[in-house]
Amino acid sequence: MLNIYVLIKQVPKSDNLQINRKTGALIRRNVENIINPDDIHGIELALTLKQKYTGTITAITMGPLQAETALREAIAMGVDNGLLITDPMFAYSDTLQTTLILKEVFEKIKDYDVIITGTETSDSSTGQVPYQLSEALEIPLITDIFSYEIEKDLFKCQRNFGHESQFIEVKLPIIIRISKHFNKTRHVPLSGIKRAFEKELEHIDFNYLNCPSKIDGCNKSPTQVIKTEKLIHKRKNEFINGSIKEKIQRILHIMKDHGVEKRWMNKK
Amino acid sequence: MDFEFSEKHKLVRRSVRAFAEDILGPLAPIMDRDAQFSWEAAKELSKINAWGLQLPEKYGGAELDSISYAIVIEEISKICAATGLTISVHNSVSAYPILKFGSEEQKEKYLPNLASGKKIGAFAWTEPNAGSDAGAIESLAIEEGDHFILNGSKIFVTNGGIASTFLIGAKYKTKDGKNGYVVFILDKNMKGFEVGEHEDKMGLRGSSTTSLYFHDINVPKDSILGKLNDGFKIGMHALDVGRIGIAAQALGIAQAAYEHSINYSKGRIQFNKPISQFQGVSFKLAEMSTKIDAARFLLYRTAFLKDKGVNFSKETAMSKYYASFIARDIAQEAIQIHGGYGYMKDLPIERYYRDAKVCEIYEGSNEIMKFIISREILKGNL
Repeated sequence: MLNIYVLIKQVPKSDNLQINRKTGALIRRNVENIINPDDIHGIELALTLKQKYTGTITAITMGPLQAETALREAIAMGVDNGLLITDPMFAYSDTLQTTLILKEVFEKIKDYDVIITGTETSDSSTGQVPYQLSEALEIPLITDIFSYEIEKDLFKCQRNFGHESQFIEVKLPIIIRISKHFNKTRHVPLSGIKRAFEKELEHIDFNYLNCPSKIDGCNKSPTQVIKTEKLIHKRKNEFINGSIKEKIQRILHIMKDHGVEKRWMNKK
Repeated sequence: MDFEFSEKHKLVRRSVRAFAEDILGPLAPIMDRDAQFSWEAAKELSKINAWGLQLPEKYGGAELDSISYAIVIEEISKICAATGLTISVHNSVSAYPILKFGSEEQKEKYLPNLASGKKIGAFAWTEPNAGSDAGAIESLAIEEGDHFILNGSKIFVTNGGIASTFLIGAKYKTKDGKNGYVVFILDKNMKGFEVGEHEDKMGLRGSSTTSLYFHDINVPKDSILGKLNDGFKIGMHALDVGRIGIAAQALGIAQAAYEHSINYSKGRIQFNKPISQFQGVSFKLAEMSTKIDAARFLLYRTAFLKDKGVNFSKETAMSKYYASFIARDIAQEAIQIHGGYGYMKDLPIERYYRDAKVCEIYEGSNEIMKFIISREILKGNL
């Protein structure tokens, strides 16, 4: 019987996102919210673990009330419980604040065997929480596994390590950071949807925490987003005319402009 | 009044859309080309409970409401209208009438297998001499001892070649000379039950359509669905429900043709600008969008009324008539916008047109829909 926790985040669907040009902020009107694509692979791993070793799966997310939908979707896929961490004090949390909050939540939960995360979120791409949480809870973080088995309280796995593979054995509890190449995710069974919307979700707020003095998403996040800009790839074509000698001169000039020549010359 | 989808409906749509694009997307053109139902698709559809959309959980169904049902059929049909039809017929005119009119024994016997997709269902009423004139069916069941002997035939039976559980409409004659209409639940393995050849159709080629022949089938009385003389009522009610599925199917085809038209016209450059910037094209897009919205709202109102448990014959006829009419119209205009490319089989546009046409014909032709609507409004049901 494993107590499995899978961390998920609700993100805007990213196939047609629009940015307000003046403020650099994401235009959220008419944007569909989905479970972060990486995290679906985490849910799939949790479901497979449960199937193989039995257990209970709880999906955890932090966000505004609307993030409940992400938990319900996870439940529709087969997850047992949903836990929403929500409070205005948690708004604008960066990865470190998020980790501190999660640390407190897991310290209260106590009885956890496996915590699963995705690699990164599609809306911020930091990928820091798994590492930070491993430090905060002082439990091992396993990344990039491609095969595994659990024997009593031992997690044995093989993981990618550059061009090599490593065999690792660790004692539970652990955090597994899953990559999207690890498994193929299932489609949401429609029979799960009714259950998902009948299920009562657990909420955790600021007052639930043991040590709230460190927590203030808005004012105590060391990371501050100064500006968001749309990345525009610019390609410029230039046709080089003239004699061979003129062409070479022109190319050398362009290389010099871009600092290529220097490196080339130094090597010489 | 609320014109917003609930989170639940949004999740249904998102889930089915992902499924349809991943699983049915690659299969749809092959099913159409080869005129072949896909058992691979059928197996995958089982995994998401698409065979038991509205059946209660206790029989293994997903117990969805009718708006969710319409969303599922639309999203599947948007990618593969043939599969949309297979699922729609199975759920609405096969599983649903058993749930609504069947005895507890019948429900326990048939519904779990239908919900899981282990057995596929079909409904057969139409005969060579009974199309729009539904009362003219000639299949006849004569009471003999403790059973009936059924003879006759059916044509254009959707799911005919893949179904195991059939609802069959027939006339009956009892020993004491009473007659009327009856619906039987029959198994294709019964002695004397013959399935005809696979029909070669203009569209929906990936769905199975066959004739059925009944040769002295010995039908036990526990195969009667509902009461003996309720056959016509059951048949017509099943079709009322079936029309929600057909309207949703037509809507899915229309939506697909519309989205292709938008994308193509934004990218196709003629006279140095995208053709979407010419009014000749942009007005077509505006018309498509408006018609789709109108069909959509008619459909959701019908689904809402069905779940409310009130009579929805007029509304379901309106939505089936209008959705199928605009689907054929929009598919036709989509070909026009795509020009020569739209006429080629490389793109799915011409398939939408072929698939859409039959929506104006089956589940009661659109002329019959207008007959039903006018009968209702002249009765005072304005």
